[in-house]
Amino acid sequence: MSTATIGQAYNYKVVRQFVIATVFWGVVGMAMGVWIASQLVWPEMNLDLPWTTFGRLRPLHTSLVIFGFAGSAQFAASYYAVQRTCQVRLYSDKLAAFTFWGWQSVIVIMFITLPLGFTTTKEYAEIEFSGAVWMAVVWVAYAVVFFTTVVQRKTKHIYVGNWFFGAFILVIAMLHVVNHLSIPVDWFKSYPVYSGATDAMVQWWYGHNAVGFFLTTGFLGMMYYFVPKQVNRPVYSYRLSIVHFWALITLYIWAGPHHLHYTALPDWAQSLGMAMSLILLAPSWGGMINGMMTLSGAWHQLRTDPILRFLVLSLAFYGMSTFEGPMMAIKTVNALSHYTDWTIGHVHAGALGWVAMITFGATYHMVPKVFGRERMHSTPLINLHFWLATIGTVLYIASMWVNGITQGLMWRAINEDGTLTYSFVEALQASHPGFIVRFAGGVFFLSGMLLMAYNVWRTVRVADVALAHRDAQIA
Amino acid sequence: MEMFLNGLGVVFLWLAVEYCLRHETAQSLEDASLTPFADDPEVARRVELETGKTVNAVAPEEARPGWVNLEM
Repeated sequence: MSTATIGQAYNYKVVRQFVIATVFWGVVGMAMGVWIASQLVWPEMNLDLPWTTFGRLRPLHTSLVIFGFAGSAQFAASYYAVQRTCQVRLYSDKLAAFTFWGWQSVIVIMFITLPLGFTTTKEYAEIEFSGAVWMAVVWVAYAVVFFTTVVQRKTKHIYVGNWFFGAFILVIAMLHVVNHLSIPVDWFKSYPVYSGATDAMVQWWYGHNAVGFFLTTGFLGMMYYFVPKQVNRPVYSYRLSIVHFWALITLYIWAGPHHLHYTALPDWAQSLGMAMSLILLAPSWGGMINGMMTLSGAWHQLRTDPILRFLVLSLAFYGMSTFEGPMMAIKTVNALSHYTDWTIGHVHAGALGWVAMITFGATYHMVPKVFGRERMHSTPLINLHFWLATIGTVLYIASMWVNGITQGLMWRAINEDGTLTYSFVEALQASHPGFIVRFAGGVFFLSGMLLMAYNVWRTVRVADVALAHRDAQIA
Repeated sequence: MEMFLNGLGVVFLWLAVEYCLRHETAQSLEDASLTPFADDPEVARRVELETGKTVNAVAPEEARPGWVNLEM
């Protein structure tokens, strides 16, 4: 092993800021989720106020966990990994700081406007016109910081994790701008330039790729950096990682129409979406297997390392939800599953099992390093968090599977004379036990998140300046 | 139409992968896979012990006052 000295200190300040924001928005966003889950069990939890009804808080919950929690996590992880794999300080401290404060202001705009009822009504893109424009400005600044850092790298090769982060940044910019094209009539009221089935197609081209790129591609970049680092082994197959990258970004962008089966969308587009969704299973599992196999010869580390457990379990849930997704995209399966709680269970298998679990693993890995500690305040607390999160996820998705299939079967049941066997209210009553179990699962998951916040707080409170200085060198 | 678009996707995928791997050798891909450890000599030593692979890690330089602080 050769040694040399190069470079200047990394910019860990912005990483620290985004790490804390990740934990903060995680607590707030997940608490919002538990609240709206309680509203489906006990309708009185709506509080009889317009601002706290399910219809307004549900988009707030999704916006907070997607853009606040998952978004901040990806800013933190990409800024951390791109500096370390390019061995160069992040481009422009001021622009990096702007991305932090700008992104936080976007989340605050969502936090205020969505409960007030300002919404585009487009799922995962509810933020209204001026907020959406501001979001695009911040995102462009993020792209400038990230890609300029890559251009200024001291290493010859661009590590594959950065390819995933780069694709995530570029594609999200494209999706956000195209889906938000609209004619404003006010600061927070606009009308989309699309109409009818075209509007629906553009929305679900965006909506599915919000999952595919905001909640998958960036997190795969995270996986390709943090799994090898935590295992102390290089990724199983670097060649496979490149095939994985191109296959994933080639296919994901076509899968959106499976959200519009049996609608006014042309049949060929529905079939194309279904076919692409099925083919997508191959790169998804290729990446999952590549991550899992990185542990070859090191599986014993799972016995003692709860951070690695989070990372590996996230890959297991990634594999499970990327199998379930293509199955649900088959039109005949979708005829049963669509509009039922099965979809909610599927998205949470990905959101809790994949996105949140890998974020927990990456955050527990980063916090000691950027705050100058040898390790987290309490490893047993990480272990407890792991089990609470796992139990919460399993309760959530199992209850939604049962509810979804129950609802699908009850809705399609007909009598001999062609009338419906069950009314909608009867299906709703049958779903009530599942709503209670889902609420319990959410409470488990949120409890784990609170433990994480406490553990991070105790670690940060005794941050070691000297050690943080040392770790921030381009070593 | 659907078959044409599917075919186009496969051709794009093949060209992209071939282009990215055009100058890569087994050794260069192995070196690339070790990038996450290249700035961390302590971890690099553990990787070398466990895998037998050589990691070209660089040592930390002395801290420069004022470059880093813990302010939030």
